[in-house]
Amino acid sequence: MLAAGLAAGTCGIGSLTRFTHAGRAHVAAEVAESARPLPGRLPPATLRRLSHPDRFALRAAAEACAAAGLDADAGGDVGVYVGTTTGGMRETEEAYRRRSAGEDARFRLSRLLGTPLATAAAAVSQALGLYGPRETVSTACSSSALAVAMAADAVRRGVVPVALAIGTDALCRLTYAGFDALQALDVEPCRPFDRDRQGLSLGEGAAALVLESAAHARARGACPRAVVLGWAATGDAHHPTAPHPAGAGAAAALTGALAAAGVPPDAVAYVNAHGTGTKQNDAVEVEVLRRVFGRRLVRMPVSATKSQLGHCLGAAGAVEAVVTVIALGEGLLPPTVNLRHLDPAWDDLDLVPEPGRRAALDVAVTSSYGFGGHNVSLVLGRASR
Amino acid sequence: MSVPVAITGLGVVSAFGHGVESFWRALTAGESGLRPIDRFPVAPGTAPAAAVPPMVVHDHVRTPVGRRIDRVSLFALAACRLAAQDAGLALGGLPPARTGLVLGSAYGNLEETATFLDRLFARGTANPLLFPNLVMNAPLSYASLELGLTGPGAMISAGEVSGEGAIACGTDLVAERVADVCFAGGADELSEPFHRALDEARRLSRTPHPLDGRADGFALGEGAAVLVLEPLTRARARGARLYATVAPASGFSLPAPVHGWPHDAAALAARLAPMIADADLVVAAANGDRALDALEADACRGRTPAVTAPRGATGSFGSAGALAVATAALAVAHGLLPPTVGHAPPARRGLDVVAGRARRAAVRVAVVDGLARGGACRPIRVEAA
Repeated sequence: MLAAGLAAGTCGIGSLTRFTHAGRAHVAAEVAESARPLPGRLPPATLRRLSHPDRFALRAAAEACAAAGLDADAGGDVGVYVGTTTGGMRETEEAYRRRSAGEDARFRLSRLLGTPLATAAAAVSQALGLYGPRETVSTACSSSALAVAMAADAVRRGVVPVALAIGTDALCRLTYAGFDALQALDVEPCRPFDRDRQGLSLGEGAAALVLESAAHARARGACPRAVVLGWAATGDAHHPTAPHPAGAGAAAALTGALAAAGVPPDAVAYVNAHGTGTKQNDAVEVEVLRRVFGRRLVRMPVSATKSQLGHCLGAAGAVEAVVTVIALGEGLLPPTVNLRHLDPAWDDLDLVPEPGRRAALDVAVTSSYGFGGHNVSLVLGRASR
Repeated sequence: MSVPVAITGLGVVSAFGHGVESFWRALTAGESGLRPIDRFPVAPGTAPAAAVPPMVVHDHVRTPVGRRIDRVSLFALAACRLAAQDAGLALGGLPPARTGLVLGSAYGNLEETATFLDRLFARGTANPLLFPNLVMNAPLSYASLELGLTGPGAMISAGEVSGEGAIACGTDLVAERVADVCFAGGADELSEPFHRALDEARRLSRTPHPLDGRADGFALGEGAAVLVLEPLTRARARGARLYATVAPASGFSLPAPVHGWPHDAAALAARLAPMIADADLVVAAANGDRALDALEADACRGRTPAVTAPRGATGSFGSAGALAVATAALAVAHGLLPPTVGHAPPARRGLDVVAGRARRAAVRVAVVDGLARGGACRPIRVEAA
């Protein structure tokens, strides 16, 4: 589904229907809840209590395991690494609202206990029988890029033979109203890198990747889709919400990831940008790319997945890692949609306008930059055949 | 590849005050940090809690953007500064890009989240000044910008093992030489909505009795503990004080309800046995919650080490595991086992629970077992350097 949507240049951003919102923006990339039963072996009472992001995570994890051909009961020591920002906040908001409005005599504890971000990893682990180490990280919009990096690192160090990296988040009032109050939301579907871009569009969902050592994959006859070549995480140490004006931390993450991968900047064939669509983020990101790639950037395709799927916050890093894997595996450059008027400051760049195109790719990078200046870059390579 | 990691500094903010000295003095004296709540209005007869004495923002914050810091982040920042001071490290002298920062929090800033939602529900408007404080990684963001650290960082939110998870992650960064020094620990706060919800659900005890037959619930606490972690050789070379070395076992998961404690103590015992076989002390997660205490007592029964449960004195909070690791390091360094406040013999399952007064004994190995609802386990071994 995702690959088809990427290739078709579909924009998944539409009207916000999840909850009423009194602010300026009313668009979002919502996930249509599947009617199919949730995978795995959780009891019905537990399934009823799962928050939206926990359900998203479970579906994505099961799909990734199935695609990898992982035996459902061979999960003994599979690690589960999740990145998320708000967990079951929407359910908690509703319980809190009902309690405050006097509709419930008591605050429903079960809802509050669903808030800890760790429940998505617990749900995946328990539903699919994955009993390796478990970690949940939350560095705002780079959360699940960091989860991918930590899972890859655990495999590399031999801590686990196989690890599942998951990003998940659901739309909630807190983030929607919060970003809108910061005037960070575009009232139209977001337009990353467009001259007239006004901000981001929030999205939701989950993405999961199965990571294992090349030897382990070979031994079980699995066909690798891509290779994690390197990664780096840095901090801006600058501001709670604004990116560093010169993108110092973001550039350090990108150069650090390339160095860790042993890949020269010249070898990068595609950049899956953070590309949120806010004035400042996009401008800083292009400056970072110019600094790292120099004149080579002029011929380097750069696209923003958030133009199609919205900004899925904690899920964005894993979503964009999956998109980058698809790009490498299928020789597909997903487009930056909604790009109508290229910002004159970067009319020399290849921002992959609609409808995208085909290109053989060997190495790609995807970067995620979070509130608070937490930057993560991943370098991914095409699997050798 | 990986190098041994030493704990060279401790920063603690607890109900016993600010600084590791007041914490250790009170804990080993068998004092309780539980008091009637005065931070927010409560009904008569409300369960007590272990609250941190008031802190002054400008004692810890130096930057203009840091002035809006929330309470959880302030705990974390203060603990970082105290830890640096304790380790004899000048913050300005640390290499910013090679200094790691990994913090854990289970619930983050629930207090201001409630304030934000109150206005959103009442007036339909969001407070843009508050929103940046509500992201889970706010403590990481504020601490990194205040301390000027641009190196690898992560915010861990792993429920009851958020502190252990952060310390394990920080230890890995140092052991793998991704960072030369790392601040690692956790912070959580006592918040009105969470306390009220737990009290209404009758989960809280007026006097918790960890690991004894009278256990009828736990108490909430708050605070932060941060460790300074360095390669052992580097710590020795600079003549640093060595509390202990730290070696996180790889985490694992047990079958468990997604939102509850594991039931299978035998499975936990089998996984813990090799880690605690040579331990002189187990710093237990037990807090007076019947299900948790029973699980832990069953898993540790028949083993020889002494057991202490600091949550009897400090109350429970998501990142209290960081305080438990600090306790383990202090016990190793001082050869002193703090008593379990609220516990009176006989102990469950014949455990050797330190009770009444502190016990003097050489501690070569102390283990924090690191248990969380949902079945995540994250044991940390601390050994004499």
